[in-house]
Amino acid sequence: MAPLYALGCEGSANKLGIGVISHDPETNKTKILSNIRHTFVSPPGTGFLPKDTAAHHRAHFVSVAREALKVAGLASPKDLSCICYTRGPGMGAPLTSVAVAARTLSLLWGLDLVGVNHCVGHIEMGRVITGADNPVVLYVSGGNTQVIAYAEQRYRIFGETLDIAVGNCIDRFARTLAIPNDPFPGYNVEQLAKKAFFEPDGTTKREPVLLDLPYAVKGMDCSFSGILGAADLLAAQMRKQDALLASGATLKEGEERITPEDLCFTLQETVFAMLVEITERAMAHVGSKQVLVVGGVGCNERLQEMMGLMARDRGGSVYATDERFCIDNGIMIGLAGLLAWETGFRTPFEDSTCTQRFRTDEVHIKWRTD
Amino acid sequence: MAAAMETDQFPCVLTVQVPFPTARLASVALQSLQVDKELSPLVRRTFSTSPPARDANTTADQDKTLHVEYRATTNRMLRVAVNSFMESLNLVIEVMEHLDADVLAAEAHST
Repeated sequence: MAPLYALGCEGSANKLGIGVISHDPETNKTKILSNIRHTFVSPPGTGFLPKDTAAHHRAHFVSVAREALKVAGLASPKDLSCICYTRGPGMGAPLTSVAVAARTLSLLWGLDLVGVNHCVGHIEMGRVITGADNPVVLYVSGGNTQVIAYAEQRYRIFGETLDIAVGNCIDRFARTLAIPNDPFPGYNVEQLAKKAFFEPDGTTKREPVLLDLPYAVKGMDCSFSGILGAADLLAAQMRKQDALLASGATLKEGEERITPEDLCFTLQETVFAMLVEITERAMAHVGSKQVLVVGGVGCNERLQEMMGLMARDRGGSVYATDERFCIDNGIMIGLAGLLAWETGFRTPFEDSTCTQRFRTDEVHIKWRTD
Repeated sequence: MAAAMETDQFPCVLTVQVPFPTARLASVALQSLQVDKELSPLVRRTFSTSPPARDANTTADQDKTLHVEYRATTNRMLRVAVNSFMESLNLVIEVMEHLDADVLAAEAHST
């Protein structure tokens, strides 16, 4: 049997991603033919709003889709088996804008539509790229924070955030510091955190300062909003120090000078330690030695390092991907959609809507039989 | 009676007629756009590719036209709903123009 092809369209947040992927049901081999992405980057100090993000996706859909087809080099769109689009979870307006275009393509090309759960897309992509067959999954992004393990054709949520996502916490702190959102705020926070190991000259080594932040693990769940609030207070104190020093005065006796570098370092160490703790507990519970980190925050090297130390102590290892697959993309939607399509799953055209809330464990993972 | 209530509660009306080159494209637009429900209960809409029944002069050409009627409680709601429709319609037409199978085939042939 020849390999099957799918077009995947993703637009649940500020990334518009379209790509072509192939999967051979007999050999289980996957091949990426194209993976095109266009990101809506908002100015420093601001986030991306649903209306502007949807307008971005509408404006770039045609050019990104054409590029994805061109790079894939398919003779005709008729060679595809299905059009896969993100059904949810995500922001309503951006999701809908991509769904409208995916529907139009499905009718123009006479192909089936498959609505895909965004989280399941991340997990399947991570499994294919890293080769981790049955890992505990830590899914961390700007919109989601979940510890997941597979059992009996469901990805079951062991622990999750009780309020905002860890990526949202980091992104919003980047906004507090008004650092650029390009290529993405978490990347710039990570670079600042690395600088906390050096004096301002950039070469002399120093010990970074771990400031005081709350640590909020509650059973298998985490909370990040209070940590963001506390980090914002420290940032406000830092700005007061800036003003004081600029006026020629000196800090109070024993008051520590706060820097953006130490703040970023502290925030990362605190929230990543929380994630490592709940992931380790899930691994112990299910008896797994593999941990797969997916989602945009998953490309943070410090998180991968901390997760790796924990996994090694347990005699296992961490599986992670780089930004091509970690950050939202079209092929992960194409892959998860194609796997479902092969089992006979179709999204009826009149039901091809989007939903902002769509939990990972709602999806029947019919393609896994282990 | 029901029609009268409709007019009472949704007095602000806008009808749009969008001509397409073929009946197929008009039908694709209709189907792609009508899946998403109107989010506001203050707005009602109808889409069709056949002309309203009261129109006597029916020709085959009418199938090539997308007939859209928006009704809303206030002009503000009407404007918001119609703007959103126009944005989606624009995307659908752009996709048809650049990604339809014959367009892609013609480009592949010429290069």
